[in-house]
Amino acid sequence: MSASPLDAVALQMIWSRLISIANEQQAALIHTGFSTVLRESEDLACGVFDPRGLMVAQSVAGTPGHINSMATGVRHLLEAFEEEGLEKGDVLITNDPWLTAGQVNDLTVATPVFVGQRIVGMFASTCHSPDIGGRRLSAEARDVYEEGLRIPIMKLARAGVLNEPLLAIIRENVRTPEETVGDIFAQMTSNEVGAKGLIDLLAEFDLDTLIPIADEVMARSEAAMRDAISRLPDGTYTDTSPVESADGMPVKLRVELTVDGDELKVDYAGTSEQVSEGINVVLNYTRAYTSFGIKALLAPEVPHNEGSFRPVTVVAPEGSILNCVPPASVAGRSLIGHLLPGMVMRALFSAVPDKVLAGGAEALWITIWGGSRDSGEGFSQTLFNSGGTGARKENDGLTATCFPSGVASVPTEVIEMITPLKVLRRSLREGSAGAGRTRGGHGQVIEISNRSGMPWTLSPMIGRTTYPAAGLEGGKDGLAGACVLEGGGPLVPKRQHVLEGDAVVRMSLPGGAGRGDPKERNPEAVLADVIDGYVSLEDAREVYLVAIEYGGDENALVRPPGTYSIDSAETRALRGQADCDQGVTVS
Amino acid sequence: MSLDDARIRIGVDIGGTFTDLSISSESGIIAVGKALTTPDEPARAVEEVINEALGRVEVRPDQVGEIIHATTLVTNAILERKGETTALLMTEGFRDTLGLATEKRYDLYDLNLQLPVPLVPRWLCFDIPERTHSDGSIAKEVDLDHVRRLALELQEAGVHAVAICFLHSFTNPENELAARRAIQDVAPSLRVALSSDVSPEVREYERASTTAASVYVQDVVGRYLDDLEQRLTRIGYDRGLLLMLSHGGVATVDTARHHPVKLLESGPAAGALAAAAFGASAEEPDLVSFDMGGTTAKLCLVEDGSPLKAQSFEVDRQDRMHPGSGLPLKLSTIDMVEIGVGGGSIARVDSLGLLKAGPQSAGAHPGPACYGRGGELPTVTDADLVLGYLDPEYFLGGSMALDPGAAKAAIETHIAEPLGLSLEKAALGIHQVVNESMANAARVHAVERGKDPTKLPLFAFGGAGAVHASGVARRLGSSKVVVPPYAGVMSTAGLLSAPLAFDFVRSRRAFPPDLSPGAVSEIFAPMETEGEELLGSAGVAASDVNHERSIDARLIGQGHEINVKLDDLTNWPQSARESFDAAYTHLFGRSGPPVEIEVLRWRVISSGPRPGLTLRPERRTGGQVAAGAVRTAALGPDSQMTESSIYDRYLLAPGDTVNGPAVVQERESTTLVPHGTSCVVCDDLSLVIDLNGAGR
Repeated sequence: MSASPLDAVALQMIWSRLISIANEQQAALIHTGFSTVLRESEDLACGVFDPRGLMVAQSVAGTPGHINSMATGVRHLLEAFEEEGLEKGDVLITNDPWLTAGQVNDLTVATPVFVGQRIVGMFASTCHSPDIGGRRLSAEARDVYEEGLRIPIMKLARAGVLNEPLLAIIRENVRTPEETVGDIFAQMTSNEVGAKGLIDLLAEFDLDTLIPIADEVMARSEAAMRDAISRLPDGTYTDTSPVESADGMPVKLRVELTVDGDELKVDYAGTSEQVSEGINVVLNYTRAYTSFGIKALLAPEVPHNEGSFRPVTVVAPEGSILNCVPPASVAGRSLIGHLLPGMVMRALFSAVPDKVLAGGAEALWITIWGGSRDSGEGFSQTLFNSGGTGARKENDGLTATCFPSGVASVPTEVIEMITPLKVLRRSLREGSAGAGRTRGGHGQVIEISNRSGMPWTLSPMIGRTTYPAAGLEGGKDGLAGACVLEGGGPLVPKRQHVLEGDAVVRMSLPGGAGRGDPKERNPEAVLADVIDGYVSLEDAREVYLVAIEYGGDENALVRPPGTYSIDSAETRALRGQADCDQGVTVS
Repeated sequence: MSLDDARIRIGVDIGGTFTDLSISSESGIIAVGKALTTPDEPARAVEEVINEALGRVEVRPDQVGEIIHATTLVTNAILERKGETTALLMTEGFRDTLGLATEKRYDLYDLNLQLPVPLVPRWLCFDIPERTHSDGSIAKEVDLDHVRRLALELQEAGVHAVAICFLHSFTNPENELAARRAIQDVAPSLRVALSSDVSPEVREYERASTTAASVYVQDVVGRYLDDLEQRLTRIGYDRGLLLMLSHGGVATVDTARHHPVKLLESGPAAGALAAAAFGASAEEPDLVSFDMGGTTAKLCLVEDGSPLKAQSFEVDRQDRMHPGSGLPLKLSTIDMVEIGVGGGSIARVDSLGLLKAGPQSAGAHPGPACYGRGGELPTVTDADLVLGYLDPEYFLGGSMALDPGAAKAAIETHIAEPLGLSLEKAALGIHQVVNESMANAARVHAVERGKDPTKLPLFAFGGAGAVHASGVARRLGSSKVVVPPYAGVMSTAGLLSAPLAFDFVRSRRAFPPDLSPGAVSEIFAPMETEGEELLGSAGVAASDVNHERSIDARLIGQGHEINVKLDDLTNWPQSARESFDAAYTHLFGRSGPPVEIEVLRWRVISSGPRPGLTLRPERRTGGQVAAGAVRTAALGPDSQMTESSIYDRYLLAPGDTVNGPAVVQERESTTLVPHGTSCVVCDDLSLVIDLNGAGR
């Protein structure tokens, strides 16, 4: 450590204060937000930046895509005004996919903080707007121009005066003007809450600027990350994953990680070229999810900032699907980007086997529902839902839980209060979890209809409908996902579908994969899954090799644990002598 | 003592380790008591401690006017999963609502994350054919035959607790009521909780979770209250028992039996009320209550003599410091923030070479290194000992000797050496990092509620509260610290200061301009009538009842409401809008976009008069300060080690002044008076430290 000894205490105090200020900013953002995407799902990130635009601290919530894209993207906003300069009361905005979070729906609002004439820091947040015009979020746009309104880096407010023409243009171009503009107001408001905290902090600790704090935080983060990398054996690690594409042609992702001492190079050479449909990923977003995977796997406690990723280089061939060039369409970039942490982990399996997860649903299911209310007024509602996560070495995967992203679903009652949609079912998807010594998390089934009776639309931005989550160390794959019209055929992912008024859509989200041989699973754990209805008696016997009998009434609604029993002798026979001591401990 | 006129009241609080008690008469608190909690039969300790203390002051149980009670019973029943096996009936298609939860991970980077385990296992979650639309219209009536069949099977299986949570029942409870009638027709012994009764608020996951918790603990609470009432009757007390609820109001036994989950945070609520009461007596109606114990600290804002309230709470967090890691409960509760740092928290150097304290704790075993029980890691208590703040010979009144050598060795090895600091600098670093995290938590908590904590006095209690109070207050920018007497039984004093109160909520979505003042009154009237009836049956005259009306409102399109008090309706709806705008601007620093407001919920808190509790204990005869006692402690300018005077708190009398640098010691706590500050003993024996005060 280069720091002087006193800094360990003072730096800790200042830094923890900065994190708490970012949390204040986040609290204000969620409380004043309008869209469910922001206020219920919390698809957002908040951060404190130094005067150079480097992120110093971030709030607790948020998605890796937003946090990490901001970490490397916000400096562009300052650079754009280097010549013209900024003044107190200025607020900056952009949704440039290449400079920030990779799609036009993601709006970044940044507010420089002034003491006198000097910028002492900056607050920014990135939020997913419910609508930004263009096509409703889908992968059908052939270029980014079709995807909606693009806002170059510009001033949302100048010296405290709102840029009304810009707000008018935004209102005129989106389907949800109140929500889209209301969320922008929330971003501005929350930045100001943060600014007040920062000004107090600088006065209390007698600091002129955040730069020395940022430098110290980044230097220490870098050292800790180098330390974590140096524990990996030097060498080259690879993984290749096929990915479904809406054009029916598979896309290939390939990663090669090279560990050399305390440095790590991630190269996506060998990955498919960018495609005509909107699932292309800008390099900033590729970096964001790659670095998330590396950090979660190797150094979860190290803060995310430019310093912690100096020892990590992420490259992808220009023009590939992971480093697309304008005017590629990018709206569905999360369907590819969310797969990267899993690939990085699987590549490093031999180096850190205990920490790696089996495959999971991974890509968040984003569905955009549109239509009109009884009044004739239109609605557009974005829902986020997740399948199961992959099994861990000693723990089952998580049921219907968002990973690697980190957003929440919208409660059914809220959906039904603000739209004519009626949710007919939202339940766990039995049998979807991949079996294993530890099993995957369960997917879920959601059925949605429309009460208005008028034609409506659905754009399912969903993944893992062709290639299921892959098992690890002999664990079974999870079930792949499906989106179908009740009584009709499958709805092709990443397209906008026009639905009849009485249509019912059923979405079956993927299950997570298992880890280890299912016949090594503790029979008591298999029994518990049978009692709870996750595993059928047949699967217990055929997949897990555990003989379980149900002794209750065949028509019973209530089937208490006591009505099931393990046939130990037969289980031993099924599993074979050799496996006896590996888990069959029941009496 | 003439007891016929003196109103004798008892406050008794069952905590994890001790059952505490205070007895007050009109002249103030006349006795305190403490007994070990008896977890197998919690009412036994209550009976014992009441008998013992009443005997001491020669009062018969039949002379006692009122007993007010708080307990951790509900929390423990949930944490230890000792409630009743419970079934959950949900709208068809939604049986997995508890299992699906929010789909969100509370920690982004933890690959081994665990989610909270619901109180109802999946085999007891059932789909019930029925449906209500969001506008309250019934889309499908309940399949009553199915419900009856299920009820009989549940009874047969020995399941006696049933929670019912149907979609949109907070708008129209008809289907829930029909399902309950069907159950009661065939299986009257089943206990049934309806979500429309327990928690009539939107969001099915949180509502189902709350309803399940309520019926899950009902039997445990009922049996306990029966036992306690019988014991009290047996010893000759028959005036009925009052219970403290999570929101700091007091209710009758019947209310507690009906809504047992409302008892959840009764102990901490009582602590916050005590802070408010002592604050009022020190003429400080606005303050920050700071309770720091062995593993955690709790902070709460008190405004105008009342602790702030929140409408939701989480229990059984998988990770104490991560919101979202517990089971959500929608209930009115004192709004507290918990920080995972206490005296036993372990200090360490993290992978970035920075000094951290907590949330890992050494607990009681092995405990801090200085306990000499085999703990080798440095804790906050070890640092406080090395800094001379604690007296190794007088910890817990001298009943436990501390080992300064072990504390020094632990800090030297694990903190000072790795960071290249002197022993004292390392210890001071631990102390200061702890104070900073407390101050941060207080600040975030306050700002989230639109309050400014910087000017507020800090009211400190708990074993470590007064040791850290001055440091936390300085970090917060506040100029005053109040340390009450009776640190060991603080919460019981809070019990004695609470008014009888009942809270009500009705969900009804409305645009203010659509309602006349008369229509608004009609929404509140049934709740107020119910409040008057409940208070009347507990002996409160109608003329003494106070109703506090409020609304949960938001800008149309927003998802989070702000609770706004509604004082009078003369100017409705403008008054509502003005109050909302003021609250919004106060909270967020700027007004929202130009959008109308809507009201979602209407609330009433009906309360009786606040008891005129005097917190003035008997006068001390002494007043003598221990002469000449000094010790070296880090209380000098810039926290340098300096000769500091040592005072015995039990010898201090009202009006005495202690100038820093000094340490005031008592059995369960220690108060620091740093250089440049002074401390005055108040009439109620509280210590008030003026951080700007002129020292010697």
